[in-house]
Order: sequence, then structure tokens, then C-alpha cells
Amino acid sequence: MISCRQLTRKFGDFTAVDGISLDVAPGTICAVLGPNGAGKSTTVGMLTGLLAPTSGEAIVCGVNVAHDPVAVKRKIGVLPEDLGLFDDLTVDEHLELTGDLYGLDAATTRSRIDRLLAALGLTKGRRTFARACSHGMRKKTAFAMALLPNPEALFLDEPFEAVDPVTAATMASILRDAASRGVTVFLTSHILPMAARIADRFVIIRSGRIALNAEAAALDRPLEELYFDLAEAPVLDRLEWLGQTE
Amino acid sequence: MAGANRVTGTARVRAILKWLARAAKRNRKTFSFRGNNIFYTAIALMFMLDPALAGILIVIMGVIVLLPMSSDPLRAIPPSRNGLWPLEAGERRLLRFLSPFLNPMTWLVLGLAIWKRVSWGLVAFAGGTVLTGFFLSARSPGRGNFWRLLPRFPSPLNQMIRKNLREMLSTLDFVTGVLIAVAAAGWRAAGMLPKEAFFPFTFVAMLAISTCALSLFGLDGAPGLRRYSLLPVRGWQVLLAKDVAFIAIALLIALPLYIPGALAAALIALAVGHRASIQQMTPQHRWRFQTGPSFGDAITQIVTMTMAGAAVAYSSALFLTPCVAIWAISVWWFGREFDRR
Repeated sequence: MISCRQLTRKFGDFTAVDGISLDVAPGTICAVLGPNGAGKSTTVGMLTGLLAPTSGEAIVCGVNVAHDPVAVKRKIGVLPEDLGLFDDLTVDEHLELTGDLYGLDAATTRSRIDRLLAALGLTKGRRTFARACSHGMRKKTAFAMALLPNPEALFLDEPFEAVDPVTAATMASILRDAASRGVTVFLTSHILPMAARIADRFVIIRSGRIALNAEAAALDRPLEELYFDLAEAPVLDRLEWLGQTE
Repeated sequence: MAGANRVTGTARVRAILKWLARAAKRNRKTFSFRGNNIFYTAIALMFMLDPALAGILIVIMGVIVLLPMSSDPLRAIPPSRNGLWPLEAGERRLLRFLSPFLNPMTWLVLGLAIWKRVSWGLVAFAGGTVLTGFFLSARSPGRGNFWRLLPRFPSPLNQMIRKNLREMLSTLDFVTGVLIAVAAAGWRAAGMLPKEAFFPFTFVAMLAISTCALSLFGLDGAPGLRRYSLLPVRGWQVLLAKDVAFIAIALLIALPLYIPGALAAALIALAVGHRASIQQMTPQHRWRFQTGPSFGDAITQIVTMTMAGAAVAYSSALFLTPCVAIWAISVWWFGREFDRR
């Protein structure tokens, strides 16, 4: 479903992603983990056609991303890092736009919008312009946009960040349900407990390279422990001025 | 927190004012007229023979510029941050009293008030405009209800067109165009506008909004541009949604004037503007004049708009056909370029 070989992206002299190769089978939830700047979002960008790779190849839903990006976009749903919302459209209008552009008929679009808004607790704010939405509302809107066209694969960049626990649980449940019906989910996250709860496969990226690519069942240690070992360990520096009387 | 307590109240207010002054200076830079100087020059030339008319237009544009320039400098502080700062009530009052003086418009009105050669009427007009701008800016940003009820377009691009309309309607270029059209409509209704003046007025109104066609993606921001890249649409469709919005506004403004000339000018403004819009996506600000990426692009746009509009107005409406063809080719060509971005 998602496959890439030697995927590399350079920005000038800086190599953000360095020869990543991986395969994600249909119906799998693959969590890509790593510190800030490790190359997670760049990888998502290349797999979704947002960024052209410097070298390497990506095949998503059977389509070569570089050869036919529009065909790939018709098959996938994406929650981008910056959410990709327009200030001048309301929550409702963003979803209508998605339905229109993915060729859904009006009745189907309306029914799916109602269901998504109810599930994500957005019904009350549906007529709010994106520029007036809270970050959480914006995140949920972008998430709903990714789900609305019934995609074969979902690419979600930090889906659980800045959403309340109930919504996070709802999102996790929606993703698990979608995966059980064959939708492939490729997500990045810094929230390790949530990733550990829903993912079938973990990929840890450090400095643009894969440090771990394993099925959840094959992990021999807790995810957090592995992460600190393979990605980066926390810096334990004492800020001596805290708590002192000046 | 003991260290913070050693700072006196005046020092805290002074520190905030210092940073507010810096923010206000940056805000003033957004009133750049790079792409619009030509517009004012064109108007000055066009109405050189009628100073009274030019005077009215200058007053209209002065008001348009003064209103946003008179905004409350305290607006630069996010309300949550303002509430968190350890300021006493007296310090907040002092900040409230002093902050309007960071705005040069306050000094302008004070200067006019003490300048004996200026009539009290002018002082009252300038003061009223500045105060209106100040109090309008103090209102919450709102939720854009004003343009919520835009018409729907029977097309899959419906919401994109509506979004583009809302973007363009939030520019001072549009406000200028509307005021010119309203003034012209008033003169026409009063029988003061001869038929031969219809096209020149139409053209001035089109000039007022033309810079929007040079910066079609300026108000989308990085997230908006990313969304275009994620949507299963071709570049020509993205451009078409922009152009439909621009043409709709152009026709609305030209309604009381000369529609065929406006359409020709708008089509050519877009045809020329596509290149600049895609190759140099200059970020724009709401409630400001839009700035074209370069003087050369603006000149090219104005010259070609003049030729097209004049051909339709003074020769034959059949000249609309090549205008449509040139525009369509431009949409197709630069749509491909948009896809290759």
C-alpha cells in the first residue's frame, strides 16, 4: 500500500531524509516517531506529493507519487503539519470543499459531514471561520477533511497534538476501525503512549535515517525506553535559579 | 519572582511601550504602496484637467488609508499575554493613556489642531477619521460574518471561489474600487457624468483592484498553499477559481459604469498577473493595499489593461474575443506552472 525505496530529500547541503526504505501493508497503522527535525514531516511530504524527493521512489496505493501526484491525492487523505486550512472558509465549508473536489454527491457529502462533526464534537462550531477556531478545532477540521472522501490511505502528521483526551480517544477509535477495514494509516506522533496504543508498526527516525522499523508485537522493551535509546535521551540539566530567592 | 518586583511600575510601562513602538513600526510597513504608486499617478494624470474631481478621489483614498493606520497600538498585545503581565491598575491606565501616542496619526491630528492655518472643519474630519479607525480596531477581530452569505457557484470549485472572494473583499483595493464606483454612480444618477466619462471611471476602478491580480495567492498563506497541493485539482482549476472571484468583483464594481470595458481590463489584468502571482507569491495583509511583486509587472499590467479596455470601449466590443483567448491561454499555461511548483 505504501512503499518507498531510498527516499532522500536534501535542502541545500542539509539532508533531511537520507535513503529511507519501508513498506506498509494495507490495514496497518504505522507510527513514525522521532525528535523534532528528524525528517518525519519531510517523509510524509514526499509520500503525499507535497515535496519532490531529491532521489528515490515512493509508491502509494499502487501509484508512483512522482509520476501522477493527482491520482495519488484522489486516493489518500492527509492531515498536514500546518493543517492547510483557509482563513476565509468555515469548518463546514472546508468539508463541503473536500466533498466537491473528491466528486462526492451533495447528499453523501452532507451526511458524512454531519457524522464527522458529531463524532469530533464540532457540530456547534461548524459555522466558525477557520481563522477564529481554536487550534484544537482546526486540527479536528483538518482531520475530518482527511476522512471525508473515504481514502485508501491516511497520512496524519501529529494528529493527537492539541486535541482533548476525549477527541483523541475518538480519533484513535476511528483510525483503528478504518484500519480494520483495510485503510492504511501512516502517522507521526510525539505522544508515545497514544502511538503505543494504536499502532501495529513503529518506525523511529533519527537524523533522516531509520533507527527502528518493527512490528508492535516484536518490540522487546516498552516503546518509551526504546525511543530514548534509539531517537534521543532527555537532557537532564538542573536550572539552578528555579526556587531560589533573588 | 523577587527579581521582577524590583522593577518600578513606570519602568514596566516604558518597557512595554518600547516593544509596542517596535510592533507599531512594523505594522506601518505593511502600508507599502509599491504596486499602487502607479495607480495614484495614473489617477493624477487622468484627472489633471479636473482638480476638483481629483481632490474628491484623494479624500476618498485618504480616508481609506487613515482608517487602518489609526488602529490602536495596544492591539499588538495578545489579550491573554496582556492579562498575564504583572501590572497594577494604575500602570494599565498609564499604558492605555500613553499608547495612542505611538501612532503617528495621533501626532498628525494634534499638529493640525495647533496649526492655525488649518480650519477646524479639517481638524474635526481628520480627528473623526482617526478616532473611528482607533475604535474600529479595538473591536474583536470577529468571525467574518460580513461575507458569510456570499452566493454559491454551481461548480465543484464553489467553496474555493467563495474563499477567494472573501480574500479579495478584505483588501483596501476593493474598498477603493467600490468607493470610486459609488461616487461615479452618484454623479451618473445626478446627470453629472457625461457618457464619454464612463470608460475612464471604469478604468480607474479597475486600476484600483488590479494589484489583486498580481498577488492572487498573497492572502492564502503557507497553510492555504499547502492545501492546494493536497487537493486533487489541477493548477488551471486553482487559477480559474481565483479568476472567477476577481472577475465577479470587477463586474460588480463596473455595474453602474461600463461592463464590457471592465471585463476586457479584468481579463488582461489576470492574464498578465498569473505569472507574477505564481512565480513570486508575495505575502499580503488584510485591510491593506495589495502590493505587486515588482514595478515592472504593474506597468506591464496597466499598459495592457489600457490597450484592451480602450479597444473595447472606443473601437468594438469584438475585441473582447482576443482578451478572452489571451486570458484562457494564460490560465492553461500558468496552471501547468502551478502544478510544477
